[in-house]
Amino acid sequence: MKPDLKQLGAAAVAVLALGSPAFAAAECGANTGEPATGEPIFVGGIHGNAAPGDWTSSTDSAAAYFACVNANGGIHGRPIEYLVENDQWNPEAAAQAAARLVNDTDTVAMVGNGSFIEMAVNAGTYEAADIMVMASACAISECFETPNLVSTNQGPLPSNLGAAQYAQEELGAEHIACMGLNIPNNGIWSCNAVAEFMESRGGQSTPVLINPGAPDVNSALLEALASGADTILINQPAGIALAILSAAEEQDLRDMFNWIAPTPLYDLSVPDQLGSYWHGHVFVNAELAPLNLEGPDALNWVAVLDEFGNEDDPRDTFGQAGYLSARFFVKAMLEMDPADVGDRAKVSEAIRGISGYTSDLMCGPYYVGDADFHMPNHAGYMVQIVEGGFEIVRDCYEYDSPYFERHIAIETELGLR
Amino acid sequence: MRGLFHVTPSGWSGLGFAAFVILLVPELAGSYWLSVFTSAACFTLAIAGVAFLYARLGLVSLTQVGLMGVGGWVMLRLNHGTDLPFEVNLVLSALATMVFGWILALPALRLRGLYLALVTLMAAGGLEIVFATFQFPNGGEGFWGVTIGSSEPFRRPALAQSPEAYLRYVAICALLGFLLIELHRRLQPGRAWAMIRRSEAAAMAAGVNVTLYKTWAFGICGLLGGAAGALLAGSLGLLDDGTFRASESVMVFALAVVGGARYWQGAVIAAALYKILPPLLSTWGVDADLAFVIFGAGLLHAVITAPDGIAGQLRGAIVARFARKERADA
Repeated sequence: MKPDLKQLGAAAVAVLALGSPAFAAAECGANTGEPATGEPIFVGGIHGNAAPGDWTSSTDSAAAYFACVNANGGIHGRPIEYLVENDQWNPEAAAQAAARLVNDTDTVAMVGNGSFIEMAVNAGTYEAADIMVMASACAISECFETPNLVSTNQGPLPSNLGAAQYAQEELGAEHIACMGLNIPNNGIWSCNAVAEFMESRGGQSTPVLINPGAPDVNSALLEALASGADTILINQPAGIALAILSAAEEQDLRDMFNWIAPTPLYDLSVPDQLGSYWHGHVFVNAELAPLNLEGPDALNWVAVLDEFGNEDDPRDTFGQAGYLSARFFVKAMLEMDPADVGDRAKVSEAIRGISGYTSDLMCGPYYVGDADFHMPNHAGYMVQIVEGGFEIVRDCYEYDSPYFERHIAIETELGLR
Repeated sequence: MRGLFHVTPSGWSGLGFAAFVILLVPELAGSYWLSVFTSAACFTLAIAGVAFLYARLGLVSLTQVGLMGVGGWVMLRLNHGTDLPFEVNLVLSALATMVFGWILALPALRLRGLYLALVTLMAAGGLEIVFATFQFPNGGEGFWGVTIGSSEPFRRPALAQSPEAYLRYVAICALLGFLLIELHRRLQPGRAWAMIRRSEAAAMAAGVNVTLYKTWAFGICGLLGGAAGALLAGSLGLLDDGTFRASESVMVFALAVVGGARYWQGAVIAAALYKILPPLLSTWGVDADLAFVIFGAGLLHAVITAPDGIAGQLRGAIVARFARKERADA
C-alpha cells in the first residue's frame, strides 16, 4: 500500500513539533515534579479588562507560571494561591480590587498587574500596606514613579522613546506626530518625553491626543496630517492602533509617513489583521525579546502556557512580562528563609533586595532596590511587521534620554553596569 | 414651627438606618465592602437630588452624574490648589455645582417632560466631552490643574483619614442632604413645588414665583450632586472621565424611578442596586453585567406596576400589614 501523503505530512509535522524545543517540559520554581501541599501563600494580581482594552495577558501568564510552580514543589512546599481582580478601567473598581486583595486578604505581594487605572488609584494603598507590586503591563507613570511598584514591562514612555529613537536614527524622522491617549499620566506623559527627545536631536514632535472613551481615529489622523509630521507614532493600545492603521489604509496614507509604534502592537495576530498593505511598513518597539527568539525563558514561557495556561492566553509581550514577574517573584521567595515566606513585610524586603536577575527575555538585568521610582527595563528591540509575523531590525539597544539618568545611577550603585 | 421638627415614622426609620450605617457598618465591613459602601453612600446623595427634582416638580434631569463630575472637579482643583480644609472645599464644591445647576436650569425652565430631559441629557454629553478633553485636576498648575505624569497626593478630611471614618463621614453628609430636602419640603418652597407640580398656571395665579422655585430646585439638585462628586473624589483621591459618562446619568435617573423617587428609601435602594449589587454578584461568582438585566427588569416593573418604585411597594406592604393587624385587634 502506498503511504498516504497527508498522513506522512502530519507525521512529519508531529515529529518536528515533538522535537522542537517549544514543546520541552515546563520548568518552574524548585522544579521537583511533586505538587505542593502545604498552607497556601496568597498572591494578588489586578488587570483591566473592559473597553477600550484587554490587559489580562500578564495575569494569565503569571497564573500559568504559578500553577506550574505549584505542580513543582511550590514555595518550600507551599502552593501559591493567585487571586486576580478586574479593575474594569474604573477607579472605583480599582480601589475595591486593591481593598479586597491587599487589606482583606493576607497576600504577601501583588504580581503580574496590568492596567491603565489601578496603579494611580492604589499606589498609596500599596505604600500604606507595605506590599510590593511586581507589575507586568504598566501603562501609567505611577507605576514607575512610586516606591512600591516595579514592572518587568517598560511602559509607554521608554517604549515610545525607543521607537522614536529608531525612527530618528534609521528612518530619518524629523517631525513625529505622537498619537497618544488623552490621559495625563499615559499618553500626554509619554508624548511629552518623545517631544523632549526629538528636540534634543534637533527635531520636533506634535502630540495628537485621542479620547479613550470615544476614539475618533479619522479626526486624529487628519490632525496628524495637518501637523506636517513625517512620522506617525501610534502610542495606543492594540485595538485603537489597528483602527488607526485601518483608517490610514482607507485613505492610502501609508507612503506619506514613517509608521512606528510602541509594544502594544507587538502581538502575533497583528500582521495578519493588518494585511499585506502594511507588511514592511510598520516598525514596532518590543520591550521584551521578540517572540521568535528561542532563549531558555522564551521557550519555557511558551511551554508553561501550553501545559498550565489556557489555549486562548495571549502570546504577547505582556504575557512574557507576566511570566517574568512571576518567575522573579518565585526566585526571590525560594531564596528566603522558609519560615518567612508568609510574612508580607519580609517578602517586601526580599523583593526590594532583588538585584541582578537576568533572563533572555530582557535586554538588561532586573532589579528592584529601595527607591521611590523603579524602571529596570529601559532597553529593547525594534521589529518590523512582515507577512506572517515580525522581523527584527535592531537588536537590544538602550534608549537615550535624560529621563533614565537616575535609573542608571542606581544601576551603577548596585554594580549592574 | 412644631411641625417643622416633627419626626414621622418614616423619619425615625431613616434616622435609625443612618445610625446603623454610621455606627455599625464600618465596624462590621471589611476593606472591600467599606470601599463599596462609601461609593454607594456618595451615589445615594446624588440620587436623592435627582429623585427630589422628579418627585417634587416632575422634572426629569439626566445630568446628575455630570453634576457629580463638576463637584468632583472643583474639589480636586481646590484640594490640590489651596490649603483649605476638606470641609471648606466640600461646601465650595457643592455651592459651585449649585450655581452650575442654576445656569443649566435657566434655559431649560420653559421646558418640561421629554424636552427638558433631552436638554439635560445634552448637557451631560457636553460635560462628558469637557471631562474627557481637559481631564480632572491632579495637582498641576493653571486653570485646569492637570500635571503631566503622576498625580499629587490628595488630602482627606482630618476627621476621616481611615476608610471606616470616611464611610461615616460620607454617611453623615448624606444624612444632612436628606434633612436638607425634608426641611425644604416642610417650608414654603415645598408648598410652592407641590402647587407647581399640580399646575404651573394655578401656581402662578396664586402668586408663586415659578421661575424662582424651579431654579431653586435645580440648585438643590446640583448642590447634592456636587457634594456627592466631591465626596467621591475624597474617597478615591482622583477621578476619571469614564465615571461621569452621560449614560451613567440616564442609569441613575432610571434607578431613582425603580427605587422610588418619593421616598428616602428609594434613593438608598437605587444606590444599592447601582453600586452594591454588581460587586455582590461578582462575589458570588456571577458576571456583574447581569446587574444591567436586573435594572432593566426593575424599570419595567416600576413603569408597569409600581409607579412609586420598590420603596413605595415596601411601604404599601408595611402599611397594609399594620392595617390588617389593627383590624384584627379591633
